[in-house]
Amino acid sequence: MDNKRVVIYTVGILGIVIFTFILSQFHIFNSSRSFMFIVLLTVIMVLFNEIQNARKDSDSIFLRDIPGLKAVEEAVGRSTEMGRPILYVPGIMDMNEVETVAGVIILGHVAQMTAQYETGLDVPVARAIVMQAARESCKEAYLSQGRPEMFNEDMVHYISDDQFAYAAGVNGIMQRDKPAACLYMGKFYAESLLFAETGNGIGAIQIAGTASQAQIPFFVTACDYTLMGEEFFAASAYLSRKPELIGGVKTQDTVKLMLIGLIIVCLVMRALFDLDIVSFNLLDMIG
Amino acid sequence: MIWKRYIPIAIVGFFGSLTLFGWFIENEGIKSFIDDDATQWYDIIASFAIFLGALNLLKLQFLKVLKRKAGWEYSVVAILSFLIVFVIGFFMRGAFVVDIPNTDIQSTYFTQGAAEEAVNHLKDSGIIASITPAQWGAHIQTEGGLFKWMFDNIFTPLSATMFALLAFYVASASYRAFRARNFEATLLLLAGIIIMIGRVPIGSLISSWMIMYLLVLVIGILINTYFRSRQLVFGWVALGLIGVTVLGSSMGWPIDQPAVFYLPALQEWIYTVPNLAGARAIMIGIGLGVVVTSLRYIFGLEKSYIGNQ
Repeated sequence: MDNKRVVIYTVGILGIVIFTFILSQFHIFNSSRSFMFIVLLTVIMVLFNEIQNARKDSDSIFLRDIPGLKAVEEAVGRSTEMGRPILYVPGIMDMNEVETVAGVIILGHVAQMTAQYETGLDVPVARAIVMQAARESCKEAYLSQGRPEMFNEDMVHYISDDQFAYAAGVNGIMQRDKPAACLYMGKFYAESLLFAETGNGIGAIQIAGTASQAQIPFFVTACDYTLMGEEFFAASAYLSRKPELIGGVKTQDTVKLMLIGLIIVCLVMRALFDLDIVSFNLLDMIG
Repeated sequence: MIWKRYIPIAIVGFFGSLTLFGWFIENEGIKSFIDDDATQWYDIIASFAIFLGALNLLKLQFLKVLKRKAGWEYSVVAILSFLIVFVIGFFMRGAFVVDIPNTDIQSTYFTQGAAEEAVNHLKDSGIIASITPAQWGAHIQTEGGLFKWMFDNIFTPLSATMFALLAFYVASASYRAFRARNFEATLLLLAGIIIMIGRVPIGSLISSWMIMYLLVLVIGILINTYFRSRQLVFGWVALGLIGVTVLGSSMGWPIDQPAVFYLPALQEWIYTVPNLAGARAIMIGIGLGVVVTSLRYIFGLEKSYIGNQ
């Protein structure tokens, strides 16, 4: 972080703390959640500042290479060469899960690539609302690439709300259609390994992205590339290169840096409290 | 444009902000909206949306059958299953409870005819029983009813079969993951072995001294691999074995001492220290990703989810 940013954020956080203190004097504000409120406003402040900076000069923001995302284009190219479709699974949960929304957004980028390369795309979904959102996303992607005739709304189709019925349906598609590439982007549970191992069995190139912590090891084991946690949320920024989204990625890193600082301060303050050097415990104040 | 872009973004912004900032406001109305109403609205919308899904499923399966595409026979099974479950769920009660008054004895029959027949049999034996049809809606969950029977005897075993496949897939995935191809994979393999053995009863019977002896030999192999010196290997192994033996004799060979080589203690440490540290690092990253991504949606900075590329 450069000096200008440090000054902006320090002044901003001080302002937020004062604002929260004033708010906490009113009965309508839940003062037991003051610390979370300060953190939330800080994240919002950093987000808007980083987006503004990215709009001015997005090239100055370094985005490290994410092999999984680079491999998406490679996977589409491979499918085109082999004349086989791409299978895209946007998780098994509904649109109220942020991971599903992230999965649908990445689907839009993948659909743009399949439109460019004239490759087939198959998107089986587990929820009807996701089906509508995914269709809209694919339709816009094909329109934006000037290939509306290639869009067929049945490329996004519903299978079942039930976890294992859906897994059986998707595995059946894999076995019958033998897609050249399988992409799993969204929220997954136990079916993750069923998908990934079946995909491995048919020799497809597999790229997974999820924030479901328990499923990450399965995807890492069975897939060629895995977007873990925050990489998954950074995917749309990486693929679109829009300043608004790149600013979001920078925000994550900046807030992470602040959190590391906060953890160190808390550790030191706790040690000082335990040694009776200071009379208050910062952790109690944070809540 | 207004209907497809701005209004959805405005709705997301308004309700997203209300839900987000409502958490900090002490107001029963807002609280009940966030906790109950909003969730119920979502459930209602999702319930209607399921018809879209069902229609899409039927349409594709019918097309597959009509065009005789590969595997169309499965589509026939899918359509028939759908129709049977639909008819039984919506138009057949399938649960008639025969109850013998003043006792706990009751039995459920799929059809009214079967229930009447049972009542007549009981009547012949001098027992008076009554028939109570299950309420509409509750009929799908009535124990012994047709729908519940189908769920328990067809659907549940099929789901369990899919779930059981995981056991085989875990084995094949573990085989690939545990191949010692490089340093990280070897580390994973070692950690996996320690966790697996340390968590089963036999693990607590393995003395930490045995692990120390093994460690001396493994380090000997490493020395041989990297230095290719017999003297060095012999020196290390001889000194190591003597050292462990002397130390063990002086300490009286306690099975769980030194604790760092006792598998149950070692696996607990791996599980609660390096594993937890890594997991928490990923969790913090995921948490920040979720917060920032959600804020992008709420403030309308990300519009791709409504198709705006």
